[in-house]
Amino acid sequence: MGTVKDREPFRWHSTIAYKTVPKIVTRGYDTTELVEKGYGFADVIFINYQARIPLIKEVKMLHYLMILCLEDGMSTAAGISRFAAKGHNILTQSAGASILAFGHAYGAYQAYGRMLDGYLERAEIEGKNYQEMAEILVRENHGSLTLGVSNLMLKDPAAKRIFARADSLDLSGKYTAFQKEIVKATQKTSKQPVDLDMLGAVGAAMLDLGFTPEATWSIVALARAFGATAHALEEEEREPRVVFGQNLQPKEYYDGPPDRPVPPLKDRDKFAKPAQTKTLEEWRKAFDERAKLRGSGWAIVEEIADPRKLVKVKGK
Amino acid sequence: MEREPLLKRKTAISYKTEEKTVVRGYNLSDLAEEGYTFCDALFVLFQGRIPTEGEEKMLEYEMGEFLEHSMSPSAASAIATMGGRPQLPAAVAAGVMTFGGAHGPGAAHGYMLNKYLERARVEGKSAKEMGKILVDEYMDAGMPVMGLGQPQHVDGDPRAMPTHRKQEELGVDGVYLELQKAIEEAFNKRRQTEGKKTIAVNMIGAGNTALAELGFSPNAAWGIGILCRGFSCACHAIENMKKGHAWMASTREKMVQMLDLSMIVYDGIPDRPVPSQEEREEYAQRELEKGEYKKWVL
Repeated sequence: MGTVKDREPFRWHSTIAYKTVPKIVTRGYDTTELVEKGYGFADVIFINYQARIPLIKEVKMLHYLMILCLEDGMSTAAGISRFAAKGHNILTQSAGASILAFGHAYGAYQAYGRMLDGYLERAEIEGKNYQEMAEILVRENHGSLTLGVSNLMLKDPAAKRIFARADSLDLSGKYTAFQKEIVKATQKTSKQPVDLDMLGAVGAAMLDLGFTPEATWSIVALARAFGATAHALEEEEREPRVVFGQNLQPKEYYDGPPDRPVPPLKDRDKFAKPAQTKTLEEWRKAFDERAKLRGSGWAIVEEIADPRKLVKVKGK
Repeated sequence: MEREPLLKRKTAISYKTEEKTVVRGYNLSDLAEEGYTFCDALFVLFQGRIPTEGEEKMLEYEMGEFLEHSMSPSAASAIATMGGRPQLPAAVAAGVMTFGGAHGPGAAHGYMLNKYLERARVEGKSAKEMGKILVDEYMDAGMPVMGLGQPQHVDGDPRAMPTHRKQEELGVDGVYLELQKAIEEAFNKRRQTEGKKTIAVNMIGAGNTALAELGFSPNAAWGIGILCRGFSCACHAIENMKKGHAWMASTREKMVQMLDLSMIVYDGIPDRPVPSQEEREEYAQRELEKGEYKKWVL
């Protein structure tokens, strides 16, 4: 391609939407025509993410799932939103901050969905049924927080009701079926009682509605953000604002290096310890030593083969 | 898993036990089981009440209408953020956080309506009278009247008037719509007398009015608007993640990319040599004295 002259000028290319002076069009549908004809918010979510008009029962299911994602008590998303609000920011910052709470542990819907996709693909290639592949998945992902199975919903029926609702609407598909097997396989190996949790229930039901892992992640995070925004507003209404430098951190909550005098600048060379190591043994020793200092980041060890794909999926 | 509360705070919004999650007194799972919609749940969340059917329909309409707006600052932010390949929530949050004083300033419009409604009440003025007072006060002070005009839909935002009409059709119109329409009328009357082109209501003027009429506070309304658009931002970010190239600067693409070097136009200080360390103090002192740098200070 080379020179700029030979190439088309920059345009915002999109397969999702365009707009002109008189209209806005998503996936081919005029958005005003959609709502005038009685389509609602959840319909437009399907249209935007999946380029299709959903069945009425699918819309009902999406509403059902989003209601359950709306509120999660004083969880990380609400907490981060409240913390942001304490600085007396504008609301959009608190709302956005709550979305940033979503990662590969809290609301790990992308990781979860990709994991399921990977193992379902493997089941097909290896000719295994869901039960067999679920056992492999549980074995290979021992201790993972993204199995959709945990001790969180032992007394709360909400997660199981999701599957029951999907069944009653005839919307259960391969993902819920596979997730049910993952639950059974985990229960067989777990020393503690565990059951289907909200990650597994919402995640599998969303995937069965045709949403990709990424779509699911963002839809759940946004549904939760409405609730977190209410928390930010309440923080403004009920709690004092905090200014920079206000909060104390009592010494009893400190376990870093003990108090020590600052060496005179002229004596820097006597005190300064260079970080460079010359042998691998020295390097290892220094690495382990550094990892003891919490907050240095050295104790976090991950493997990112391709940084463009920040989700590691075993089994793929 | 450890289940101690993250924050020890009193809250009137929700509580969560091992058995259930309760929002404003309602078990969330029961709300869903009963067949309420997500829009119903937003009334419960922000207002602590189940809405009427008409109110729920209005919110469905508004959120459906507002969700997608193709290339706006928020979608552009989400796409640009995804160009660096962070995790998806960063791009979605960036899109949401793009909303501010110019792009969808929802709360500000709501505050304005509330202020002038209160004045109308205290001063015993009609909506029509107060709409004119508001317009005159804003325009005399050289301030833009919020809720009017849209930089892309120059002939009128196609979503706005239908939103006004839908409010009336569903019977969820009230003082807010009355005042908003009075503002639009007074504003355009004044522009016409000044020989200027009329400017139609935008989605802040129409959508925010509807949300206020539905009982949402200025900030709750703002939150609903920006998060609703977040779904579109997410779609645009995912499209870039799955179908676009990271960095958006590749010269192998048929089309010049957003961050192609040719897209950069520089009209700052011309290239100049870096002074040596020996020259530095004298050079720096001279720059301070000449003061030309000040015109570039940001």
